[in-house]
Amino acid sequence: MKPEALDLQARVDALRPGNASKHLDFFGKLLVDNREMTIWEHDTGLLPVGARIWRRRARDFARRYIRPDAVRADSLPREYDPRPIVSQAARKGFQTLLLALPLGTAFPGSYFLKSASFQVAVVAEEFAAESGGIALLLMAHHLGCAPLILSGHVPTILRHLLPLYARTLRGRPEIMAFAITEPGAGSDVEETEGGAEARLVTTARQVDGGFVINGRKCFISDGAIADKVTLFAKLQGEGLESWTCFLIEKGMEGYSIGRQEHKLGQRASDASELILDDVRVPQRNVVGRLRSGWANNRNVLNYSRPVVGAMALGHARGAFERALEFCRSTVRGGKRLIDYQDVQIELADMIVKLWSARALIWHSCSQFRCYQSASAAAKVAASDISFEVCTKAMEIMGDYGYLENRGAESLWRDSRLTQIYEGTNQINRLAVIEHQWAEISGRCGN
Amino acid sequence: MDLSLYAREGEQEFVELTRSFVRKSVQPMFGGDAPDGNLDMMPSILDTAFEVGLAASPCTGMPGFEYGIWGTSADNPKGVRLSAMLLSAVAEACAGIAMNLHVQGLASRVITSSEGGLPEPPARVAVALQEGHALPDYRALLGHGGEPDEGIGTRVLPTETGWVITGSKSFVYGMEGTDAFLVFCRIAGNRGGENIGCLLVPAGATGLEVRDVGGRTGIRACGLSNLVLNDVIVASEHRLSSREAFSLMGRAMCLHWLGISAMAAGNASGALKAAREYAATRYQGGAMIGEHPAVRKLLALSEARVEAALALLLQTAGFACGNTDFLRRCAIAKLMTTDWAFSAVTDALQVFGGYGYMEDYGMEKRLRDAIVLKTAAGSRNYLETFISDAGREDIR
Ligand SMILES: Cc1cc2nc3c(=O)[nH]c(=O)nc-3n(C[C@H](O)[C@H](O)[C@H](O)COP(=O)(O)OP(=O)(O)OC[C@H]3O[C@@H](n4cnc5c(N)ncnc54)[C@H](O)[C@@H]3O)c2cc1C
Repeated sequence: MKPEALDLQARVDALRPGNASKHLDFFGKLLVDNREMTIWEHDTGLLPVGARIWRRRARDFARRYIRPDAVRADSLPREYDPRPIVSQAARKGFQTLLLALPLGTAFPGSYFLKSASFQVAVVAEEFAAESGGIALLLMAHHLGCAPLILSGHVPTILRHLLPLYARTLRGRPEIMAFAITEPGAGSDVEETEGGAEARLVTTARQVDGGFVINGRKCFISDGAIADKVTLFAKLQGEGLESWTCFLIEKGMEGYSIGRQEHKLGQRASDASELILDDVRVPQRNVVGRLRSGWANNRNVLNYSRPVVGAMALGHARGAFERALEFCRSTVRGGKRLIDYQDVQIELADMIVKLWSARALIWHSCSQFRCYQSASAAAKVAASDISFEVCTKAMEIMGDYGYLENRGAESLWRDSRLTQIYEGTNQINRLAVIEHQWAEISGRCGN
Repeated sequence: MDLSLYAREGEQEFVELTRSFVRKSVQPMFGGDAPDGNLDMMPSILDTAFEVGLAASPCTGMPGFEYGIWGTSADNPKGVRLSAMLLSAVAEACAGIAMNLHVQGLASRVITSSEGGLPEPPARVAVALQEGHALPDYRALLGHGGEPDEGIGTRVLPTETGWVITGSKSFVYGMEGTDAFLVFCRIAGNRGGENIGCLLVPAGATGLEVRDVGGRTGIRACGLSNLVLNDVIVASEHRLSSREAFSLMGRAMCLHWLGISAMAAGNASGALKAAREYAATRYQGGAMIGEHPAVRKLLALSEARVEAALALLLQTAGFACGNTDFLRRCAIAKLMTTDWAFSAVTDALQVFGGYGYMEDYGMEKRLRDAIVLKTAAGSRNYLETFISDAGREDIR
């Protein structure tokens, strides 16, 4: 290098914030944070201790157990046996996170300060960064358990949830699934006005000692492998107002699995049709009160949408990490891609988006109760950002981006689903408005 | 969105011919379980495309020689425009099949536009433009700096009877049964435009390895390979005219970017049509979903983007000529149309809700194809840099 260039480099180095701040006073230095630290570590440091521990555990688990399975689970989903990873996750406490210790595995401190979803959301991001399908496989279980808790019905919790958690903690995990969607009612079971006109077919008829259910559900994640399903049905002769949640168990007569969908991504988890043909359900399997199903369902969505947002964020972070690795290792015109300013701008844009999504997700489940507008907003923002960031990751990698062995493309495919399930992003936007209607219509003051 | 609305006098009958090919030969490929259609039908589909003259050929007397996609008629803006429209029309049904016709046309065009052509051109041919992550530095063509051989590492040494080629080419799209590849390479040791050569390498040449790239997101109906050339010997008459290889490559890149734009617009137009039909049949929220403003917004934005993509595509085609500025315009068209088309497809898919995510409805395939068209043959950053440099007065 020429002496004047050396001189310039030395001056640039001296001007870097890390070196420049040495000139500050003692207290000034204390107020500057120039630690060389990853965003992940910075963010983890913000968390309450319980969530912090789960975040670390989840990343370790995802790298150790999910990463090696990710490609196989995506490319050969029908041949992928989900039980080993479910058992492993259960053993490590990931499948019992909806209740605090000692009934479940969530840390009590953060559990009572923040929503039950918070620790699940933190875990979801880590799992989803490695594989969308395996993340859904493990996370759909929490969705299936949620109506049992959110029914608020103590006998249901004592009868069904606690024993299930106890068995899981003893190494005999069971998989739960959640079934609201029907062939003729997708958005209609996620939105109030549509709900009033929903064409539902799944119907429960009261009989001696319980109910007989007939009908069909579709697209149910983990439907084919679930041991139990929280399934919603209207009562005979009534509409959605009568929706009631029932716990359907594998092996019940008349209950079978129909078509399993072939989907673009998140393929390790099945999306299945559930067929109910005169299924007799005992009274003890009614979850909560009769006709409380609609309210329960809506609240389940409030608690689960931040988790879907976190999964979306995970896909995007995973794709970003793969693109970053590509930019570090690819040399063009004598320089690594990361040394080009235009590439840096793209990468920075991605970082900004990921960070803002995480901030909104964490915000949306940062109080004891999740609420509709914040949860829906987090889901919409994170899933839109996720698809955008995944697309950018593929673009930065150029032709390499669409090769299956590079990892980014499968996360891109996984990410697209998050704009659709748990209510399309259109329906979620309407949920934001519905919940804030008093404010939006000017009924409540500043 | 109807392509026929754009067709001018004389173009209409070609568009109709293409539509009839699509109806009779392409559509039967879909409907089964396979997400990308029944790929076993590809050989007969491509044979038909040659028979009806939709696939161009570098051989005089073949049906597609003149009016096939990028046939010799594409030596003027009218012909380029027509080929772009036909590509869009095929891509409305399947962008992968369109890619087969496009790359065959591209390679044919390189041969037919070179001085003297080739004595016995192959029937099915593909062109290798790219190496690793790099595309050649086309700024040199515009007189905007850059080194013509930047990005070309494949080298050629002369022998007494011909040439020996060593190197590799990546992401070469080509029909199944490709007879030969056009390989752009650098004459070892020298620098400058006249030292870039274009050689025809027969698919069975000793030392040539054609490696399938493996699993990929979309455009699966068209082959995609990396070529490894280990001291491949080709006869001297297999070199296209020596002086103009770099500009031939530039012209090929123009048509490549334009072709990708055309396929992106066609694919999006097909997605939009499917979404419109679906919106008129799916009942939710007390009405057909097409009645809901949320869905109308998706459809409207999708339509606006398809329309914008087509307009830019056809406008760019209108500038086709030897003028090197055409390359800059094609880069702009590729950058913008693929972006608009991608957004149009994802919005159209959203209209289907969960069904759009399932293989049976064909929308997920369109999305997979759209992302490949958006990312292939020049990343966003490459195109942006190229456009910005090409527009700079100060380095002219
Ligand atoms: C892979 C996968 C996994 C899934 N897992 C589960 C699961 O585990 N359990 C479960 O119960 N469900 C599950 N679902 C169902 C999912 O939640 C629904 O697909 C989703 O809510 C959309 O419903 P739909 O597919 O019927 O689309 P539709 O409701 O038919 O929507 C089609 C389009 O119309 C729009 N639209 C519909 N109604 C209105 C309205 N009133 N106003 C404005 N626009 C409207 C939508 O936004 C969308 O753009 C899953 C779906 C998928 C794809």
